Amino acid sequence: MDKLLVSPSPHLHTKTSTKSLMRDVVIALLPAVVVSVLFYGWSELLILGVSVASCVLLEYVITRYLLKKPCSVGDFSAVVTGILLALNLPSTTPWWIVFIGAVVAIGVAKMTFGGLGQNLFNPAIVGRVFLLISFPAQMTDWTRPQGFIGGGLDALSGATPLGLAKEGGVAAVEGLDYMDMLFYNIGGSAGELSAIALLIGFVYLLVRKVIRPYITLSILATVAVFSGIFWAIDPMTYTDPLFNLLTGGLLLGSIFMATDYVTSPMSNWGGVIFGVGIGIITMLIRYFGAYPEGVSFAILIMNSVVPLINKVCHAKKYGR
Amino acid sequence: MMKTFSIGGIHPSDSKISKDCKIEVLPVPSKVFISVAQHLGAPATPVVKVGDQVKVGQVIAEPAGFISAYVHSSVSGTVKSVGPRKDLAGNNMTHIEIDVEGDEWIEEADLSDTLITAIPEDNKAILEKIKMCGVVGLGGATFPAHVKLCPPPGKKADCLILNGAECEPYLTSDYRIMLERSKEIVVGAAIMKQVLGGCPAVIGIEENKPEAIKAMTAAVAELQKTAKGYDGISVMTLKKKYPQGGEKQLIDAVMGRQVKSMGLPIDVGAVVQNVATSLAVYEAVQKNIPLITNVLTVTGDCLPLEKQHNYKFRIGMPLSYIAEVAGGVPAEAAKIISGGPMMGKAIANMDATTVKGSSSLLYLTAEQTVRGVESACIRCGKCAEACPMGLEPFLLNKYARNNMMDELEENAIQDCIECGCCLYSCPANIPLLDIIRLAKGDVIRIIRGRVQQGKK
Ligand code: SF4
Ligand code: SF4
Repeated sequence: MDKLLVSPSPHLHTKTSTKSLMRDVVIALLPAVVVSVLFYGWSELLILGVSVASCVLLEYVITRYLLKKPCSVGDFSAVVTGILLALNLPSTTPWWIVFIGAVVAIGVAKMTFGGLGQNLFNPAIVGRVFLLISFPAQMTDWTRPQGFIGGGLDALSGATPLGLAKEGGVAAVEGLDYMDMLFYNIGGSAGELSAIALLIGFVYLLVRKVIRPYITLSILATVAVFSGIFWAIDPMTYTDPLFNLLTGGLLLGSIFMATDYVTSPMSNWGGVIFGVGIGIITMLIRYFGAYPEGVSFAILIMNSVVPLINKVCHAKKYGR
Repeated sequence: MMKTFSIGGIHPSDSKISKDCKIEVLPVPSKVFISVAQHLGAPATPVVKVGDQVKVGQVIAEPAGFISAYVHSSVSGTVKSVGPRKDLAGNNMTHIEIDVEGDEWIEEADLSDTLITAIPEDNKAILEKIKMCGVVGLGGATFPAHVKLCPPPGKKADCLILNGAECEPYLTSDYRIMLERSKEIVVGAAIMKQVLGGCPAVIGIEENKPEAIKAMTAAVAELQKTAKGYDGISVMTLKKKYPQGGEKQLIDAVMGRQVKSMGLPIDVGAVVQNVATSLAVYEAVQKNIPLITNVLTVTGDCLPLEKQHNYKFRIGMPLSYIAEVAGGVPAEAAKIISGGPMMGKAIANMDATTVKGSSSLLYLTAEQTVRGVESACIRCGKCAEACPMGLEPFLLNKYARNNMMDELEENAIQDCIECGCCLYSCPANIPLLDIIRLAKGDVIRIIRGRVQQGKK
């Protein structure tokens, strides 16, 4: 001890850092990643690899050479974006489309706003929606590739349950077993595969205090209530609540994407408003819109009103 | 359901390593340097000059204003000098230097161990004694105790809260006195409650100190059985959460009331005093001993257990002297804190001396205390979640960096209690409180200026 450090209080600091939080999100995503690789095989692994690698690389190159800022790539946030983007794509997506998605996610949605903390929209969703609009054919090709296990699961190959319901009405999805959906058997993007895997991630995030439950729960509750009302009125036209909760990336979106710190409201009440908004918009799109599934669009739309929500919703102050 | 305050708060590891170290009395050094600024408010005016002979407990400086306090000599001997000396932050302040000769106390001091439970009837005389003995709040703010115990006309105390929360990590001095001086603390509480007009008194202690809860509960029960004036005193177990010991938080936890912005606890009928203050009140009123001693904790993760201590010190002892008696400053110590790690001050100058409110010598290693590199705000909201005042530190930080004074005031920066929860919690290592503290000063100056204008 030669010279005493002198600095203002507090003198201790939490061990939690941006990096540890993002690492926790990656860990929470692992069950879903493992399930998707097991069921979709090499092609899924390729998509994940390309997506994560390009997101990380792009973040590095852009911060280092274009923005000339201290490089933020070590904080794992690009890895999170990469995984989320991959889990949102059909497992047949060609690698170059994945790369374009990464360019849009990191290069456009994240970096043009000034990097982590500045972006208005969730990068992974922007990437996905861009691809959905630009490559509609490839992005809705839900053919099941051969996975490492569960080869005989292609009862629904070619379309997602939501897609089927959109075209053929409730009757088209009548044979679906919800127990299957809960564990693995959901057609669609990799991230929609297993509700259980996603829920394990949710619990992990809550236990590690990475996220607060308000946003996710209010989305799920809103979807359940909204579809419950319509289904009660006319079960022949409208799909039931459980179906809506388990399909179409609702869990992936509500657990991992709507809860993105940067693009969601700061206060708990703001989070509830945000979640209810996402839930309603999702169901409006599903029941009445042109796309079979609406979570991505709903999150993007609500992302844009977050600044407004933050202006209106403040925490309760002491003694005021 | 255990009670706690309703907004925010954090749970740092409590690290009460020195909790089982009994209070030891520090030997008196050959020289002391007693500061005249030992309290909140105006520094006291020295009333001794070089060459004067003083006894232990003799007044050496008088209050210089309504909010100020007497300072007494902590030793007997000869005044060597009266002049500037650096305090622990390195700022010059008048100190009275005394060469120690023997240990001769003022006559009226009762140094016996006998517990005096009978409470004098004359409240005026009690208050006068508390004032004459220089008792100040020992929970951190060192506000003169007699001022707090005289509610302004029209205001009434509904509850006296004794703060035994000791929510700062590492500190164990309050814990030790609650174990070793339980009854004296309760007598002090009974005295203060009588002065306040007989309101109930609640001793708030956090759940992580079960022995203290037991000792204090037993002391209350025994005094209620054997003496008069002890009804209406109770112990309340509080959930562990920082900053429970913050005045506003404690009032919320114990009474379920919240003090308005810029208001005082008495506005909601609360008077909060630390358990150590209660002990000082006991000594002043029952024993005629002025406030010249207190207990401090010498601790830190880098200290072996046998070098951890709870010391009864006298004011004016150089910190370096205490460190030496305790076994030296550990080599790993990068920062030494006076007070808790959340709100205490980093010591710049180990030659500074103890004051009435000294509570620790806390050694922190570089690894523990050096802050990480600041990165971008990820808008996680953890700072707002942690803020016990319900503020939004990320927002205050943004406004402060852009000098937006009106927005800062609208968002209640003036309510910040500087507890450090926000900075502690931020995963991006943003120096939130550093920035908020500066801007808060500016905003309060603006508000004060406006009030002054309005008065004219
Ligand atoms: S230091 Fe101020 S702003 Fe930060 S948490 Fe404490 S009261 Fe809130
Ligand atoms: S805790 Fe830090 S990173 Fe999180 S919102 Fe507050 S300032 Fe931003």
